[in-house]
Amino acid sequence: MTVGTRARRPHVHATGAASTAVRPLLDAPRRAARVLAAFPAGAYLQVRTDREPSVIALLAPGATRLPNAVLLAGEPPRLTVGHEASVGDGAVRLGRLSLRASRWWDPAPPLGEADPAGLREAAAGLTPGEPALAGEPAVELLASGCASGRLLDVLTAAERLVGLGPGLTPSGDDVLAGLMVTLRLLGAATGAGRAVWLADWLAATVTYDARTRTTPLSATLLHCAALGQASPEVAAVLRALAGRGPVEPALRRLHGLGHTSGSDLAQGIGIGVRSVLAFCSQGSPSSSGDYT
Amino acid sequence: MSSAAGEAAVLVRAGVYHDSVALMRVSRALSDLPGMDVALVAMATELNLAMARDLGFTPPPAGPADLLVALRGRDVAAAERELDRLLAALSSAPGSSSYGMAGAEGPAPRTTRSAAARAGEDAGVALVSVPGEHVLPEAVDAIEAGLDVMIFSDGVPVRQEVLLKRLAAERGVLVMGPDCGTAVIAGVGLGFANVLRPGPVGVVAASGTGAQQVTSLLDLAGAGVSHVLGVGGRDLSREVGGLSAVRALRLLDEDPATELIVLVSKPPDPEAARAVQEVVESLRTPVVPALTGRDDLTEAAERALRTLGAPVPVWPSWPAPARRSPKPGAVKGLYAGGTLCAEAAAIVAARPGAEPGAFVAAGPGAEPGARHGSGSGEFVDFGDDAYTRGRPHPMIDPALRLDALARVGPDEVALLDVVLGHGADPDPAASLAPAVARCPAAAVVVALVGTEGDPQGLHRQAAAFREAGASVFVSNAQAARYARDLR
Amino acid sequence: MTLLSGPPRVVTAGVDLLREALDAQAVPTTPVDWRPPLPGTAGALARVLADPRRRAANARAVDRLTSSRPLLVSVRRASELLDLPQPMFLHAGPPLDWERASGPMRGALIGAMLLEGYALDEEDARARLESGAVRLEPCHHHRTVGPMAGVVSPSMWMFEVRDDVHGGVAYCSLNEGLGRVLRYGAFGPEVLDRLGWMDHVLGPVLSAAVELAGPIDLRALAAQALQMGDELHNRNRAATSLLLRELAPYVVNAAPGHAAEVLRFVGGNDHFFLNPVMAAAKVSADAARDVPGSSLVVAMARNGTDFGVQVSGLGDRWFTGPAGVPDGLYLGAYGPADANPDIGDSTITETAGLGGFAMAAAPAIVRFVGGDVADAVAATRSMYEITLAEHPAYQIPALGFRGTPVGIDLTLVARTGLLPVVNTGIAGRVAGTGQVGAGLVSPPVEAFTSALRALAESALDPFDQ
Repeated sequence: MTVGTRARRPHVHATGAASTAVRPLLDAPRRAARVLAAFPAGAYLQVRTDREPSVIALLAPGATRLPNAVLLAGEPPRLTVGHEASVGDGAVRLGRLSLRASRWWDPAPPLGEADPAGLREAAAGLTPGEPALAGEPAVELLASGCASGRLLDVLTAAERLVGLGPGLTPSGDDVLAGLMVTLRLLGAATGAGRAVWLADWLAATVTYDARTRTTPLSATLLHCAALGQASPEVAAVLRALAGRGPVEPALRRLHGLGHTSGSDLAQGIGIGVRSVLAFCSQGSPSSSGDYT
Repeated sequence: MSSAAGEAAVLVRAGVYHDSVALMRVSRALSDLPGMDVALVAMATELNLAMARDLGFTPPPAGPADLLVALRGRDVAAAERELDRLLAALSSAPGSSSYGMAGAEGPAPRTTRSAAARAGEDAGVALVSVPGEHVLPEAVDAIEAGLDVMIFSDGVPVRQEVLLKRLAAERGVLVMGPDCGTAVIAGVGLGFANVLRPGPVGVVAASGTGAQQVTSLLDLAGAGVSHVLGVGGRDLSREVGGLSAVRALRLLDEDPATELIVLVSKPPDPEAARAVQEVVESLRTPVVPALTGRDDLTEAAERALRTLGAPVPVWPSWPAPARRSPKPGAVKGLYAGGTLCAEAAAIVAARPGAEPGAFVAAGPGAEPGARHGSGSGEFVDFGDDAYTRGRPHPMIDPALRLDALARVGPDEVALLDVVLGHGADPDPAASLAPAVARCPAAAVVVALVGTEGDPQGLHRQAAAFREAGASVFVSNAQAARYARDLR
Repeated sequence: MTLLSGPPRVVTAGVDLLREALDAQAVPTTPVDWRPPLPGTAGALARVLADPRRRAANARAVDRLTSSRPLLVSVRRASELLDLPQPMFLHAGPPLDWERASGPMRGALIGAMLLEGYALDEEDARARLESGAVRLEPCHHHRTVGPMAGVVSPSMWMFEVRDDVHGGVAYCSLNEGLGRVLRYGAFGPEVLDRLGWMDHVLGPVLSAAVELAGPIDLRALAAQALQMGDELHNRNRAATSLLLRELAPYVVNAAPGHAAEVLRFVGGNDHFFLNPVMAAAKVSADAARDVPGSSLVVAMARNGTDFGVQVSGLGDRWFTGPAGVPDGLYLGAYGPADANPDIGDSTITETAGLGGFAMAAAPAIVRFVGGDVADAVAATRSMYEITLAEHPAYQIPALGFRGTPVGIDLTLVARTGLLPVVNTGIAGRVAGTGQVGAGLVSPPVEAFTSALRALAESALDPFDQ
């Protein structure tokens, strides 16, 4: 870790590149936090707050960048679960370590304008990976609901998917995150207002009780996704779909994430893209109310 | 030179190379040893050899690829041991592994060409800060490898600049510089750059400190910045014709994150201005010009905010009363940023009742340290080539400005800029604030350019200068007006 | 990735403080270990790099160098292949006269005088050579290369190597073996006896065998040998064995009566393949000659007094500096005081991406040329810094089958100060001594800097277009 010790201060100073998703936590007055999980490439910190985001990922440069991450300039500190910490007043403090943001990155970079015909062409390159929930009825319901425009099916499926699957980021959450980010960002890029509208509904449904239905980390990630915030790997696939680069390499990097996380996110992106294309071909997004 | 007590040694280490900033740190560490009078550790350039001779040493024959060490003090042997330790530490730092220390990756790449090959597809930008006469090969490497390149160095001949920019146009990459102090790419600060929140404003800048002023104000106002693309101070000259500005404008126009472009420049050459204007008119993204000398940078930032539909805040300032009444308009400007210097000089010169041209702004071509008749403003840009040849930029090394502060007259107002951010002095107030407190001037006014997110912390720095008795402004234009109008 | 699509990886060259500022932002960097170029070259570098022809010229030159396909097509007498008006000898390295010739060069020339019957004895040979009665010209001026003294006289048998792709041709003499041999300046009776046997037996037999065998792909043999521990300058054991395997049946068919002695001679000389691979390197390097604006080195050669280089964009001009004394291990009781300055055209192997440039392929000889395996790997790796390409056929197993560094660029030599790594044998200083050791040698810097300055003088101005 890049540290500069100062003779008169007991703190060890470190810096990192922070997602603007966690800026509200860092800028707020100092609050207590604790280490939720620790692993060689970093740690997750849970801040005592009843608002989201509540979990910050502290990650070594090589690690997958989550939308709530601070990338450390150097090796991550050695931490154990339960380690006391604090977050706020511009810094993360862990014992003697004081960590500040030396740059900010945007987890929801705008895609610009995208043309639906180009999107349709690019979407052909969206090969499925090996998502954990392949064949899961709730996912099929989500996909058919999004494609055919039945809000009730979409929300019913989403309710069932929150927290579904093992691990810190259950597969159901990853599918929903991929879907919400895609609807919001590609919907805006193609001018498919109803995709954004559907993203709003999903966001409200999914974030409503995420904190009690899934892990704290996953709840924060769902909250981020509801705002269109995602890891750079997801953003890169969306950028490629919007016609700003080749799809294949971006998709390959996404599929490489986590155990099945990448493929689960890609599954959600696929559902989202088909939905956005369906909205585009329906024409004007003027009257979202008739979407039932 | 003074006949120093103790021993003296002057030696040359052939073929040992380190950059001037690293060596300055070594020199300083050696000077700080107890009983050391003089410690000069520098590459044996003509300039440094002359400096050694001025210091009373007789250096042996040596060339710019050799390390020159001149020591005088109580325990020269101890200083040499410390020198060896410091140089060894430099050599073992990442990136300076030498030929014999090949790791798994092999020795560190020796040219930008091989570094670009090693970085592979990931590489995006090359940041070149080697001495000006050696820039061309590294920059050509970067362009031929398809990298955009920022040239921090000054002293690159203008023909080479034009050549590089033409090559870049053929390869479809951007050359930022030469003499480009500031760039920010998707939040990544290159050179002197502030910690900015991401947002909709893209900046094309022919002036580094000008861009830092505009973006810092935007950040303070809560408006974010997408990218800052420097183009170098000469880009909008007749010879270069705005080659990089045009390309940078197009890049930002295509960038989905950028909704508004601010173009920061000195008033351009008319022909270059026409070329740029033509491109500006073809863009979908609105462009707010900030031409120093015509607009002040603060007004430009405010115009950008209004164009975005964002509120214009009251810019933070902490005025302090003058210690005594200054002679009206007797402002001594001690600047690190050239554009900030020119802006302040113009504002002070516009003092009601002042005779036109009653100030001197030492800039390119002007006599360094030129003085003008008493009672009028006098501005010195310590970042100018005339002062930075053979020594680090004043944003890194405060020595020259510390001297100058001590020499301001008791009936004058000292006006200085302090620029925060990456690359700059990690704590400028630590050296400058005590000099401000001791400064004999009737008043000291500080234009503090930076953001709260900067490593130095805007408010921490402001507090230190306030405690030293200075008035502090985040707007350079406001600082200059305040200094001009002090009674 | 396009500039603005996200936070970039940054290649940094120069002030370390700026790289540190990037580290603190968790931005990945690839730092350049930058140092100033060789003294006095900055201006010439700028002019050469600004030459609008350079990039395409170098790409073309190095492509021709690496795409050539050298085939061994025949073994014939020098008098048949070369224009050698009597009395004239070829020698290694840049041009040289008797007066400046070193011990081993003089010894070899004396030996050639005796071999060709141009002189009665040593005294007579010296007198005739001193008087300038015999014309001396560099091998390189006759599409020829010769190891060590490299002396070629009309009766000698030569390998003829053709480039199947670019159509060039190059020649090199037959290798006499180690110890007291003409190429190291020995000219005693046993040397002349051996040369006589080569003249009457080895040459004709090889000539017939190659004719029966048909063209032999030397590039393929060299590529295989690199994977068997040769670097093809100081170690040719594997390549010699491979060649022997190719030729043996034809030798038996061509001359059953002499087959055993010929095969024993070739098999007993680990350096036998050096000569054909030198001709192969020469024909490849010649393919890269005469590309205007190219800064590619097309020949490096030493005559025992001077080390010379030739550059693609500068025609047949030589740029020289004093040949250095190799640093290495010595045979028996010999020591550095017995060593002659660097000699021979065998640096054509380094010019073509073999020899010192392929040291990492030859761990078996790293001690012989000083150091350990890590040094050999470091030597090869450092040569990537001064070369334009990686050889498509010559690969190094220990570096993950990366192609050998090939195509020395003058500008990169000047920028990095890294000189070509040359493996070489060491000749005795006194004429007639023979080989005294082997090691590494550093070429003189001025050969490269003077060539760079000449290239700068001939560079086109990009603003004159």
